[in-house]
Amino acid sequence: MNPKNKKTLTIIIIVLAVIGTFVGLYFSAGKEPFIRTALSGLTLGSLFFLVAAGLTLIFGLMDVLNFAQGSMFMLGAYIGWQFYTNPTFIFGILPQILAFGCGVMLVSVIKPYLIRLELSETWVKALPKAAYFLALVAMVISFIGFDILGLAKTAMVAATVTTAGNPLAEISAQEPLSQYWFRPLLLLVSGALVAFATSKPGNKNEFAPKDKMLHKAIVPGVLFLFTIITTLIRIPAPEAVLLMDGNWRFVIAILVSIIFGFVFGAVVETTLIRPLYVRPTFIIIMTLGLSYVIRELVQMLWDPLAYQMSRPPLFAQLGKAASLGEWLKNGNATIDIAGVVFPTYRLFVILLGILMFIFITLLMTKSRLGMIIRAGVQDPQMVEALGINVRSVFTLVFGLGIAMAALGGIGAGPFLPIQPLMGDSYQMQGLITVVIGGMGSYVGAFVGALVLGMARAFGDYFALKYSLSTAIAEASTVIIMVIVLLARPQGLFGKKE
Amino acid sequence: MSDQTNPTDLLVVENIHTFIGQFHILEGVSVHVPKGSITVLLGRNGAGKTTTLKSILGLTPPQQGKVIFNGMEIQGKRAFNIANLGIGYVPEHRAIFRQLSVMENLKLAERKKGDFDRHSEFIFNLFPDLKRLYKLPGNHLSGGQQQMLAVARALVPENKLLLIDEPSEGLAPILIQQMMDAIRVLSETTTILLVEQNFIMASQLAKRFTIIDDGKSVHSGLMQDLVDDTEMVHHYLGTSIKTIREREISHESQE
Repeated sequence: MNPKNKKTLTIIIIVLAVIGTFVGLYFSAGKEPFIRTALSGLTLGSLFFLVAAGLTLIFGLMDVLNFAQGSMFMLGAYIGWQFYTNPTFIFGILPQILAFGCGVMLVSVIKPYLIRLELSETWVKALPKAAYFLALVAMVISFIGFDILGLAKTAMVAATVTTAGNPLAEISAQEPLSQYWFRPLLLLVSGALVAFATSKPGNKNEFAPKDKMLHKAIVPGVLFLFTIITTLIRIPAPEAVLLMDGNWRFVIAILVSIIFGFVFGAVVETTLIRPLYVRPTFIIIMTLGLSYVIRELVQMLWDPLAYQMSRPPLFAQLGKAASLGEWLKNGNATIDIAGVVFPTYRLFVILLGILMFIFITLLMTKSRLGMIIRAGVQDPQMVEALGINVRSVFTLVFGLGIAMAALGGIGAGPFLPIQPLMGDSYQMQGLITVVIGGMGSYVGAFVGALVLGMARAFGDYFALKYSLSTAIAEASTVIIMVIVLLARPQGLFGKKE
Repeated sequence: MSDQTNPTDLLVVENIHTFIGQFHILEGVSVHVPKGSITVLLGRNGAGKTTTLKSILGLTPPQQGKVIFNGMEIQGKRAFNIANLGIGYVPEHRAIFRQLSVMENLKLAERKKGDFDRHSEFIFNLFPDLKRLYKLPGNHLSGGQQQMLAVARALVPENKLLLIDEPSEGLAPILIQQMMDAIRVLSETTTILLVEQNFIMASQLAKRFTIIDDGKSVHSGLMQDLVDDTEMVHHYLGTSIKTIREREISHESQE
């Protein structure tokens, strides 16, 4: 039989097997439980996909298995929840972060001049160290007396105290600008000192041309502008956000999470992962360690408690909607789907997963970045030889991958308890998803996530029905992984090594 | 061995040393590439020819020595910066992107928007096959077609210098001839540094040569002098010039 026919036959067999499984499940569970469980499975699968998509994208291009993906998922949920419930913390700390970032980004502007300085060897060695030290001192001073923990907990107070009534009641008083102004300024200085140190003054082996200086000043310039704007709107902004329509506030919270995830991912890639590309095993240990660091930081900032995020108004009205139109009009919490009462928010999560898949598909097949990623998966050196800055593509893709995890986190926020360990099981399921689908394949991640979500949902259903241990449902995903790996060691959509 | 720097040299490699891991691969390679002609790197397998190309491009940056392109020192720059100065690279083993279609392979090589549209006519005149295969994924191409695509990819942007690594490797004789014709056409407009094991091909195309042996450049000069120097060819390349001549004659009589 020729290989093409064989391939078609395999696909037909798989499709028949899938249909057979669903028909079997339909008749053994009955119509209503089947629909309800299938929808739960889709919801779970959608969440698994949001975690796995970033994992597989990052792994495909740079062979980095990111064990901190679950923690980033959790962090995304926290940031989105914080913004949605009470953004005082985010607006309070944003000027400082932007100021520091602006300072660090000055490196592209000052480096061409600094490396051309004539310095003796002792100065070349001593200056960066001194600059790092001074940067640290400036950073510490800028945070003295700054109530970062108190600010972070404002959202928890808001969530527990005032859900009804005046949403502004819980905005805590903040330092007036007359006392606050020196904090971003000092952090700007601190960042600039870091930039000074990293540009290695007097080092003749460094390379930085003096051309296009204006072009290089754009990034720090924009950051400086944002620093000033955020410093000025620091106090009125949270109020404005809380007075906004809840649905829009949720949309912006999602955007905030995505942007945060992207920036955080890009920073992690450039500072922590880039030096370790030559030692791949170290990267795994580093990301594993990073996940613990993130978790501890979150526990410090927000207490190790679980919080429930309130659903946006579109999903909050009690009572069930009979149709899609009625839901969109009234904002019901549940909807009637073929006789099954299903939470509307979960439909939104399913939609989020599908939109994400469409986005990745378009990105990978239609855009130049996708072309670069697909080429880079095979041969990053050759991509570089074509004149493409592969290093910055790595940063971009890592940022994208983390942004996806953060989106998953805020998407899950309104129906999972928000707590420091919420990402751990998704990290595990995300890894299993990627392994089943084939490392590096986003289609594989999508299919793998669907399979796992369904297995998990139906496993739970049957465990409950026949009063078995729910551990069976949890084990089912691993069992599927073992079966897939025995049949196809490279995963469903993976490529043979 | 001529060491004087000539103002007409587009590329000068001066005594570079390159390590890969702990291995000292290049131990002093110097190459001069005059503008507007083909220079060939000769040598046995593993002598360091490919590493020389990669060192020029910054893929394996040299630890010592200088690489001067168009009057500017480029050693220590990152590879994408060097490539953007106008150097095209055709790697050995036809390293095209197999997951990308022919069109995407060519589009990816664009440095400015519209590069491909500007040069597509020239490229498809040179390799008419590619026009037919335009939408096919790279892994559906035959070895010869992949090699053509690899060369075509280097022609998409405006390049001053092409580094071409073993374009004839593993090709059928008729395709070798087609490839040679293409390279000859290219050399009318671009400077080319070629690595070639096939001495017949090298001797017919190149104006100058540099022999690399055991990580060092040992000889350079005009190709026409080398063809007559049977002993040197035998010593460094392990092929007797006589058999080359015989093969050349039999090759020509086949056509």
